[in-house]
Amino acid sequence: MGKTLFEKIWESHIVVEKQNEPALIYIDRHLVHEVTSPQAFDGLRMNNRKVRRPDLTIATMDHNVPTSDRTLPILDQTSAVQIKTLENNCKDFGIKLFDINSPNQGIVHVIGPQLGITLPGSTIVCGDSHTSTHGAFGALALGIGTSEVEHVLASQTLWLEKPKTFEVRVEGKRKNPHAVTAKDIILSIIKNIGTAGGTGTVIEYRGEGITDLSMDQRMTICNMSIEGGARAGLIAPDQKTFDYLRDREYTPKNYESLVDSWKENLKTDSDATFDKTFTLNINEIAPQVSWGTNPGMTCDVDESIPSPDDFSNGDDNQKRGAEKALEYMALESGTMIEDIKIDRVFIGSCTNARLEDLIEASKIVQGQKVASSVSAMVVPGSQMVKKQAEEMGLDKIFIDANFEWREAGCSMCLGMNPDILSPGERCASTSNRNFEGRQGNGGRTHLVSPVMAAAAAINGHFVDVRKLDLN
Amino acid sequence: MKGNIVKYARDNIDTDVIIPGQYLKVHDYTELATHAMEGLDPDFHSKVKEGDFILSGKNFGCGSSREHAPIALSHSGVKAILALSFARIFYRNSVDGAFLLPIEIDQDAYDGISEGDEIDIDISTNEIKNLTKNQTYKMKPFSEIIGKIIAAGGLFKYKPDQD
Repeated sequence: MGKTLFEKIWESHIVVEKQNEPALIYIDRHLVHEVTSPQAFDGLRMNNRKVRRPDLTIATMDHNVPTSDRTLPILDQTSAVQIKTLENNCKDFGIKLFDINSPNQGIVHVIGPQLGITLPGSTIVCGDSHTSTHGAFGALALGIGTSEVEHVLASQTLWLEKPKTFEVRVEGKRKNPHAVTAKDIILSIIKNIGTAGGTGTVIEYRGEGITDLSMDQRMTICNMSIEGGARAGLIAPDQKTFDYLRDREYTPKNYESLVDSWKENLKTDSDATFDKTFTLNINEIAPQVSWGTNPGMTCDVDESIPSPDDFSNGDDNQKRGAEKALEYMALESGTMIEDIKIDRVFIGSCTNARLEDLIEASKIVQGQKVASSVSAMVVPGSQMVKKQAEEMGLDKIFIDANFEWREAGCSMCLGMNPDILSPGERCASTSNRNFEGRQGNGGRTHLVSPVMAAAAAINGHFVDVRKLDLN
Repeated sequence: MKGNIVKYARDNIDTDVIIPGQYLKVHDYTELATHAMEGLDPDFHSKVKEGDFILSGKNFGCGSSREHAPIALSHSGVKAILALSFARIFYRNSVDGAFLLPIEIDQDAYDGISEGDEIDIDISTNEIKNLTKNQTYKMKPFSEIIGKIIAAGGLFKYKPDQD
């Protein structure tokens, strides 16, 4: 019987595998950031261990870095200490670091692909759940905890239980691909499978609706696999993948021969079977807006907020969850999504802060002004994205419209740096999580695509971007 | 292992409410513990006691991979989480660092156990006894793999069986 892409990558990385034991899996790339690594380095020191493969380990600082003027000192002392600690750890253990002043600094999941560090068929780990992003290149990319970070630093391997396989087929063609985006596809998938629908599985996204997407868009899809509970998300590499990674700063020298072997090996065999399958047809899907406090609580932009009864399908906890979500979000069932007014707009995060995201959002913003009641910001995913955007004049478009134009980092996606919502503020956000307090204590998050966020900034409330001329 | 229950009758308790992002810069675990569950229940720190268990619904610990979540709960005194299901990274983090036991329960146990009930968990027989109500439930056994990591006392103490 044939094998899935996941099974092929898994099998080619087994160091040890015995019945009823976890498999010891070799890790090709380890990405490190300032928040989930300090205890891991402390553990190495305590046990007199070295980093086994510093050459396969890459670090940057993204979670708590300020996105304001970087020539100024970092005012938050605990952040400054965490950033300094990463610098010291990288120096002590011989790890390549893209520090706060590096032109390569940025969100770890944005810089990996941009630098050609992310490669098809490889295993990639990082102490961050959104490591699944790299699966867009046909890599098995897993988010891990700090104990596992220490284990990989020390051994370049991980003990893993073999995940199940989950095929998510995306069929059809979007009528207006500028208005209905990859973000809307993945939010639709999560709305359907639920936030635990992928638990214990690696999702492989397949079908015309996926192969049609650009690499930036595919990363948005794989990024949010974790919001559907999956261990990882995968997309088989194709010509778009190979072209994207050619001639990057860290692209391997023998790239063309690697491409030849990837073309031959990195695909699911036609007679392979998956443990589970879900199919989404995207011919008719609408832009999505989350209304609740997890990414599964999402509806179409032209719908109204569902009642907890309708949402729950008779499940008591689901019903209670929806009631609590509406209370937290200060929303009522029946309210049309387009009638929801917003206070803040955040275009950023590892989900939606790549160049294409900023280009698409800028088309809506060009020649317009942010509504007077709204405060809006763009936080590019990396300093490289920022530079490319500036070369295209996108910064000017956003600044002229009264957006703030910031330095790269995770920023308001998770509220670890000064970019946070105040209690009660309502935000249209291109990030990945609308959990209570995620963007700041008491803050209310609506997950949307970059074009939806841009349109909300201009209008002061959500609008259906299918009504706008985006071509 | 005996303890009393703190019950959160809802699904999808995420790691952002277990330990909000602003505290991921805190390295002192005792201080971290004072912020455990702050995003959901600001009274948690004052009411939780050493040896308590948390009972909750489906997909406990979803979201961020922050190991600070099981660490904050563990240093608050919580010895086990009983839930209908767990998000995988939280589940592994809990056992990797030997912080607490993630115990999967069925609907009977979820419905039968109330806030404050005294519970006795026996992982050798996979039985949960409700001493307050004199009821017994089954817990889902750990997979062989996870059981071995737990028995070893965490990921760094685990060694695979020798041939």
